[in-house]
Amino acid sequence: MAELLRSPTGIAGTVLLSIVIAMAALGPFIAPYDPQTFHPIARLQGPSWAHLLGTDQFGRDILSRLLDGAPSTISFGLGATLLGVAAGSFIGVVAGVAGGAVDSVIMRLVDGLLAIPDLLFTLLIVTILGGGTGYAMLAVAVAFTPGMARISRSAVLSVRTRDYVLAAQARGESWGWIVGFEVLPNALSPIIVEATIRVAFAIMIGATLGFLGLGAQPPSTEWGLMVAEARQFMFRNPWMVAVPGIAIALAALGFNLFGDALRDALDPRGRR
Amino acid sequence: MATNDAPVLRIDGYGLSYQTRSGPVRALSDISLNISHGRTLGLVGESGSGKSSMAYSVMRYLAPNAREDGGRILLEGEDLRTLSPAAIARIRGRRAAMVFQDPSTSLNPAMTLGDQITEVLERHRGLDRPAARAEGEAALARTGILRPADMMRRYPHQASGGEKQRVVIATAFACQPALIVFDEPTTALDTITAQGILELFRILQTETGVSALYISHDLALVSRVADDVAVIHDGRIVETGAPGEIFSAPRNTYTKALIAAVPRPDRWMGVPPPAVDAVPVLAADRIGVLYGAPSRLAQRLGIKGRPHWGARNVSLSVRPGELLGIVGESGSGKSTIAKVLAGLIDFGGGVSFEGRDFRKRKDFDSAYRRAVQIVFQHPDASLNPRQTIGRILARPLIIYGLAPRAERPARVRALLERVRLPAEFAERYPHQLSGGEKQRVAIARAFAAEPELVICDEITAALDVSVQASVAELLMDLQRETGTACLFITHDLNLVRQLAHRIAVMQDGLLVDIFDRNGAEDPDRAQYTRALLDAVPKPAGVKPPTPFEATL
Amino acid sequence: MTLGYLVRRFGAVLLVLAIVTFAVFAVTMLLPGNAAIMILGEYGSDDQIAALEKQLNLNRPWWEQYASWVGGALQGDFGMSLRLSLPVTEVVLPALANSAALAAVALLAVTLIAIPLGAYAALHRGKPADLIIGLFAYIGASMPEFVTATLLLVIFAGPGREFLPAGGFVAPGESIIGFLSHVALPATALGLVLMAHISRQVRSEMSDVLASDFVRAARLKGLTERRVVWRHALPNSLAPAIAVISLDIGYLLGGIIVVEEIFAWPGLGRLLIYALENRDLPVIQAVTLLLAMVYALSNLLSDIVIAAFDPRVRYG
Repeated sequence: MAELLRSPTGIAGTVLLSIVIAMAALGPFIAPYDPQTFHPIARLQGPSWAHLLGTDQFGRDILSRLLDGAPSTISFGLGATLLGVAAGSFIGVVAGVAGGAVDSVIMRLVDGLLAIPDLLFTLLIVTILGGGTGYAMLAVAVAFTPGMARISRSAVLSVRTRDYVLAAQARGESWGWIVGFEVLPNALSPIIVEATIRVAFAIMIGATLGFLGLGAQPPSTEWGLMVAEARQFMFRNPWMVAVPGIAIALAALGFNLFGDALRDALDPRGRR
Repeated sequence: MATNDAPVLRIDGYGLSYQTRSGPVRALSDISLNISHGRTLGLVGESGSGKSSMAYSVMRYLAPNAREDGGRILLEGEDLRTLSPAAIARIRGRRAAMVFQDPSTSLNPAMTLGDQITEVLERHRGLDRPAARAEGEAALARTGILRPADMMRRYPHQASGGEKQRVVIATAFACQPALIVFDEPTTALDTITAQGILELFRILQTETGVSALYISHDLALVSRVADDVAVIHDGRIVETGAPGEIFSAPRNTYTKALIAAVPRPDRWMGVPPPAVDAVPVLAADRIGVLYGAPSRLAQRLGIKGRPHWGARNVSLSVRPGELLGIVGESGSGKSTIAKVLAGLIDFGGGVSFEGRDFRKRKDFDSAYRRAVQIVFQHPDASLNPRQTIGRILARPLIIYGLAPRAERPARVRALLERVRLPAEFAERYPHQLSGGEKQRVAIARAFAAEPELVICDEITAALDVSVQASVAELLMDLQRETGTACLFITHDLNLVRQLAHRIAVMQDGLLVDIFDRNGAEDPDRAQYTRALLDAVPKPAGVKPPTPFEATL
Repeated sequence: MTLGYLVRRFGAVLLVLAIVTFAVFAVTMLLPGNAAIMILGEYGSDDQIAALEKQLNLNRPWWEQYASWVGGALQGDFGMSLRLSLPVTEVVLPALANSAALAAVALLAVTLIAIPLGAYAALHRGKPADLIIGLFAYIGASMPEFVTATLLLVIFAGPGREFLPAGGFVAPGESIIGFLSHVALPATALGLVLMAHISRQVRSEMSDVLASDFVRAARLKGLTERRVVWRHALPNSLAPAIAVISLDIGYLLGGIIVVEEIFAWPGLGRLLIYALENRDLPVIQAVTLLLAMVYALSNLLSDIVIAAFDPRVRYG
């Protein structure tokens, strides 16, 4: 952990991430106003002391809506990534450990699925399953699965031929022990790094789905949906799109920076 | 040769340190060296001694965090430290050139070998393209490359290691420099190839009268190449002198220890030999391993791979308490045999062990796997970084049921003591140990299983000379205590002749020779064995220096 | 370049496409709702629905539907659009051309800007220029296209400062200026993420190459810095850069969906959204297959270009 805080990237990532997590955990409780309350006399306003980040077309407080939307936006990214990483790692580890024909068949399938762009894949799945946050999360997870499978497989393969794994095989250890105690613990760090960076990506896709009307539904305060609803009024009050838009970018930035710093800290070659 | 007394390279009171997070670290202190015209100075040291820092300081190629602490570096009387970067760039490659350790990484993979020579000629001698090409071919021809024009058109991956190193040397000599810095130029090469390179260096040096700074960790090799030797330790020159003097009468304590650690074929370290008529503990019968064989599916689809024999028809046996050495160059199949006997790869033929026969990998059961243990080359890779030393050492005790739970900590402590490591190491993780300590743990793990046979696959190759000697001694002590047989795989002929009762020689997957340790000089040795024995540099003072024989 | 290598790579592309057709077909089979009911609306009679189902082959087993779809697709026949009453090909091809124009502009700009930017950062590691480029790259990589696009609209196409059109399309054949002014904002929105990503990759590749033994050897041969960079370092960092660009095309093809929707650009992305909203199966299938094909072919193309840079592959 100390290694993480040594680079400017690590410090910035950790700080941003802490803010984002704090917003997700506490946002709804520290919001100054109710996010759905109309203030008809204060519509489409810029920042003021009463409304720090301005108000929307109904006079709702943008800061409060932002804070209220943080949990759903962030948990979407975390949830989708967690599901996708779990499924993808499982497939990748099975392929990497089994090797041979099983590996070939799985990896050809994965290659085929990787040839469909992520967002397109997600859109197709959302269309099958129907819109809404839960399904959208599932769709992103499914779209992440082949990529995670490929990465975890290569992590497993790079560990599988290390001498300590060979030593375990020569000793006559069981498969379960070799996979569980020799291979997996050492293959974990590239998977964790990739997962962290993918949270950023999942937040971005989740917001995009919200924006396209395929994710969270009104009156949710999910940030992508906030941008979509604000588009009509964006020329009259740019704050309406800028605030949630930049919030999405900062959340993603936090995970991106943190993931990169994590990679550097875990990289045995040290400074890169 | 030395007609001109003014030194070509003179280093005077030079010091260097590196700025790190925990403050400055001294790399070189008060170094003073002289190399006169046509002479070779061998700079010998172990890893971390500062020998490479010295080489790169001469070439004025310093790390960004390097700080020089005074002194002068004079090339033909000119202080390189006072020159501008542009002036240095004009000197590099023209008046001072460099030959690197690994030709496979020091050549640009995306450029033809010819372009990599001619660019130097164009830059420093102002030749135009055709003239540079003609001169480049001539330079290659001088290094003994048979079809230089053809070699000019090749890319690095299309040439062998020896050919690539010849190209690098041709490039270094191309502008007739006054000084060439050699940074371990043969370490990455096979013994016989390395000998050819050393011989080439001698010839070219005689022809051109170049002076050389020859950096190496290998005292035996340097004593063959250099006119003067300087031993460097912790960034200080601890002793200088003629190679013969240093070997026969070292004055400094570090040099003494270093020389004592250099493997010498005439100094026996091993255990007493087993009875000649003893029943072998393990016998391998016509072992064959085919790599890259197409799978059944691929065969059906008519896909042909390019299979090659990792080992072919290899038969050998090990007697109880014996140490059988297997030598060979990289790719000779010696590690393949180790993997077969450790039950790591599929094989043809058979293995018999204590009267039981094993025909395929799956046959090796827990009893066999306990009795036959393996130790690998790289201590960094052979211990799981996420397990403590204690856990690593307890594992064999657990799976072979050798000690009940309550006794295990005591057994682990005893194992650590036997390999002369403190008992507290049980709590540590591998990365907290040095390379030599890790290798001791790996050896302890093998002996924890109370084996009948231990396979040592190049276990000293990744270690420094002094550490190497102590690991070899440890192995001998353990063999003496336990009577375990040992299969010692190495490329170091000098070392194996100190330890092994019998030596097997492998080449291209075949076992080409096997002989008793006293039979090394017999006239009926296989031709390849002879060539290997001749190519190994023996430490000065072992025997009168034999002149290099042309083996091209 | 060896012919065998090309044949093998092409074979791999075909295999990938076969898997894609199957995946796309499976996905569309699973779509909720009966296409016949959708076309005829809730009030079509049972007879009408049955007749249409027969016409659309919906009552045949799935593998026959798959075979007839793939068979048709191989001949360039993707059937009729369910909503537009036009052959799918006639709908898809013009959209493909429009999307290609947008993607090409974005990709060209990205390549021309990102590679020099990354190389420059690597050559000035740790200097302010490197840090600024790095910061820009991180921010760029964290902005979803719809946010960039919306912010660009607010800044460049708002009332009172209409520097550029807020949407729409002019064919380059019609007016090159019109095309460029319309393509500027969508291409920027599309390219920003890629530019960030590619410049970071080029920087890291180039840093690795600059730290390599052969670059050190080139410096110690006394070559000029210019030659070291241009002749030794750059060619060896380009191949990995191209690999990254070709992989990023997948991302670009996803981004195009959102960007076209926001800027009303009549391309494949907009068509896809329309088709998805209207459950227009043949169009969805055709567009998805086309996008996957573009992606697979661009990867193949990048392999060929890489082989041209790297003799190890060329003579492998």
